[in-house]
Amino acid sequence: MHPIRDGEVAGSNNQEKHFMMQVSGDVQIIKEDNVTHSFCGLACVGWMYQKIKDSFFLILGTHTCAHFLQNALGMMIFAKPRFGIALMEEGDLSKNEPTLEEIIREIKADHNPSVIFLLSSCTPEVMKVDFKGLAHHLSTADVPVLFVPASGLVYNFTQAEDSVLHALVPFCPVAPAGQKSVVFLGSVNDATADDLRAEAEELGIHVAGFLPESRFDKMPAIGPDTVLAPIQPYLSRVAVKLERERGARVLHSLFPFGPDGSRVFWEDLAREFGITIDLRDREKASWEKIRSQTELLKGKKVFLTADTMMELPLARFLKSAGADVVECSSAYINKKFHARELEALAGVRVVEQPNFHRQLEDVKVIQPDLIVTSLMTANPFAGHGFVVKWSMEFMLMPIHSWSGVIPLANLFVSPLLRRSKLPAFDKEVWLEGVMPSAE
Amino acid sequence: MRLAFWLYEGTALHGISRVTNSMKGVHTVYHAPQGDDYITATYSMLERTPDFPGLSISVVRGRDLAQGVSRLPGTLQQVDHHYHPDLTVIAPSCSTALLQEDLHQLSAHSGISPEKMLVYALNPFRVSENEAADGLFTELVKRYAAPQDKTPMPSVNLLGFTSLGFHLRANLTSLRRMLQTLGISVNVVAPWGAGIEDLKKLPSAWLNIAPYREIGLTAAQYLAETFAMPAVYDAPIGVEPTLAWLHSVIEKLNKTGAERGFSPLALPKLSAFSLDGLSAPSGVPWFARTADMESFSNKRAFVFGDATHTVAIVKFLRDELGMKIIGAGTYMERHADWVRKELEGYLPGALVVTDRFQDIAKIIDDEMPDLVCGTQMERHSCRKLDVPCMVICPPTHIENHLLGYYPFFGFDGSDVIADRVYLSCKLGLEKHLIDFFGDAGLEYEENGVPEPSELEPSNGNGQVSPALEISKESVAEDGEMKWSDDAETMLKKVPFFVRKKVRKNTEAFAKTIGESSVTVEVFRKAKESLGG
Repeated sequence: MHPIRDGEVAGSNNQEKHFMMQVSGDVQIIKEDNVTHSFCGLACVGWMYQKIKDSFFLILGTHTCAHFLQNALGMMIFAKPRFGIALMEEGDLSKNEPTLEEIIREIKADHNPSVIFLLSSCTPEVMKVDFKGLAHHLSTADVPVLFVPASGLVYNFTQAEDSVLHALVPFCPVAPAGQKSVVFLGSVNDATADDLRAEAEELGIHVAGFLPESRFDKMPAIGPDTVLAPIQPYLSRVAVKLERERGARVLHSLFPFGPDGSRVFWEDLAREFGITIDLRDREKASWEKIRSQTELLKGKKVFLTADTMMELPLARFLKSAGADVVECSSAYINKKFHARELEALAGVRVVEQPNFHRQLEDVKVIQPDLIVTSLMTANPFAGHGFVVKWSMEFMLMPIHSWSGVIPLANLFVSPLLRRSKLPAFDKEVWLEGVMPSAE
Repeated sequence: MRLAFWLYEGTALHGISRVTNSMKGVHTVYHAPQGDDYITATYSMLERTPDFPGLSISVVRGRDLAQGVSRLPGTLQQVDHHYHPDLTVIAPSCSTALLQEDLHQLSAHSGISPEKMLVYALNPFRVSENEAADGLFTELVKRYAAPQDKTPMPSVNLLGFTSLGFHLRANLTSLRRMLQTLGISVNVVAPWGAGIEDLKKLPSAWLNIAPYREIGLTAAQYLAETFAMPAVYDAPIGVEPTLAWLHSVIEKLNKTGAERGFSPLALPKLSAFSLDGLSAPSGVPWFARTADMESFSNKRAFVFGDATHTVAIVKFLRDELGMKIIGAGTYMERHADWVRKELEGYLPGALVVTDRFQDIAKIIDDEMPDLVCGTQMERHSCRKLDVPCMVICPPTHIENHLLGYYPFFGFDGSDVIADRVYLSCKLGLEKHLIDFFGDAGLEYEENGVPEPSELEPSNGNGQVSPALEISKESVAEDGEMKWSDDAETMLKKVPFFVRKKVRKNTEAFAKTIGESSVTVEVFRKAKESLGG
């Protein structure tokens, strides 16, 4: 183990090249080599197929893709799962183009979907399968087949939701110029969507819908008078596409997490509609509601290792809540799309595409009070004596806007409280034999 | 190309990492795209590893491919720098295997000493989990096992015990307890907990014990050929197989002992194997003879799993508990011939060999067995049909990674299996009462019976994330037929345990006689022709 020298990243050597990137203000983004423990884009199937209820997600992939979905995501197969793998076996590798007609027929007969998303994976990408041509060829007027780039050669974890939404753009009607309205960008559960819609309407903002809606034929109309309000931080590509193709305006604000994020988000969104509101009292009241939680977070060293790409807004909330964010790493940072979050993170060490080996050594030196990390690394960090929180839980809890403030704060606080209640732990005694390879 | 939803065996990468994650001082580097290290989660979550599994990815990004850059040498240097492994196993992923990169050459560019690297460049499209694990373990044994003197006292190696193995730690404990009772020491357990130095000293044991057909057998065969080491390949599952196993271990050790002028070992009084040293080592032989179990004798069992457990459990159910076997199958096509041979005379029909879970679900649905022994997938299929099921082999669920001592091996294991059979099945006498008198007061409120999907424990398939568990999806009912109110009332008089089966059979009968709905009359006719 190497102690951190002043101003230097521990464990860095010639092999782990990193460089600094200057963005607005004094936020520096350290860029490393992306040797992380996280999932590939196929992970998005886990929530997207549930979100879009009349869809089928077909992955053209290998045994590895299937094993990933059934293991890592804990996906259980019911009578008629709405996702599946077109399994490429050895004999398929020598064929020029995969023939999926039979599989598509089977899917249509069993599921009658309104849309089939065809997801790419690494092997067919390496084979240079013409996915666009393939999807076009398989599409019919009734059931379009939409290509979704998702392979781990390019995309991490949540980024493939961006690809799914990208593929849905042609199915969003063009909204004529005239009425100004908001389309929220990002998949959330129906209860959260209802909250956001009600909140906007109360402020006098017309809501045109969500991308995605929960049915394929209900995708929102988007046009030059649409304001796109991103509610998830990993959707920069579709935002740019809609800006370019439809002339829509993209709201550049904080993401609506925490009292601080919610206030700024709603004030900024209202301003797009010519509405001036002052939500400072509301923000204050909201902080008051989570006072016991923020008191516990105050001064606590929190380390985010990079996993879901929700790290920037989460770190910003923690910082606002008084925590000491010792590192905020994320697999992908977009200087424009994340500009406001980055500004708010001034002074925090922000790393894009971090190197996990380096993080491990830094963690040992810094001794954070809480580590927000992936499913792969949480238990091992706990075994090293740290308090951990699964980063993925933040994606699956209602933590948006005002109604999400308490659940959000509790997610950070609950592992700290729980650990403080457990008795002292002598790992020499209680970990013996659990993992002989590490002894 | 076929549409797949779920697979029994994992990938080659999974097999490789099961071996290396078991071992001390061994690291795996996958030359693979982002996300292929999802495998790490299977260890860190199912086995709850308190340290980081020795597993790194030399990330392949699309841009690297375009630019012809390989990060493998750099990754190997990083791994060496941070973890100082004695050995790094380097393996391709599906996509990098296609690129046909020379992993030997790329690894050599790292400048790491060749003695500290092993390129295991198998074809991930051809080889799957168990074959890869067995193959890598054999490679390692070939590479390190060195000729040497035997230990002065009788000793054995326990081979094939591997990370994520079924009830792995409890099985090891059970074997250790029996060996201790015999006064035999364990030379090396491998790969679980073994380092390179341990592999070197494998040939100093008197005997190899390799109870798993899937992993460890090939290495034991290699040691037999190269070092003339005897081996016991049987799995001590069930009381009689355990006794046979003990005799075989003693006999083989005594043969070596005789050559070395060592006084022969003898089987002690069997109570010496019990937990308190004072009792019968297993309750199964008496349990099987009780009147309680006699009422089990008409229970029909179906068994499906890997090779080792399918064979052992079929034999246990029939030979030791006296149950009826209505069929069996395996997803281990590689070992199907062995399973077939072992189960000759046990099965009423042909052994089912398939890796499609739907095939097995259909058999269960058609046969409605009284007990299914299978994998996590069969447990799931059975929940939908309200058929009793117990899990006997991988793939498993977090439910099979419990804290208590639940071995399948040895006398202790026989009791565990028998208990699980007993708890899984609907009981004997109680069932007669219900069948005869109706509900026997055990009727649930019709609406109070939870849907099978709700019975699924919150951690789902296991696999690992509680979060994305898809438990709310409704299970589609197929082929529903209309029932008249009177017929429904009549159906309610059928014991609830079998009601689903009766409904299904009646509907099938109605179809054969050309009826499109079930009336009281149709129901009566069905009862008559189907025998109640």
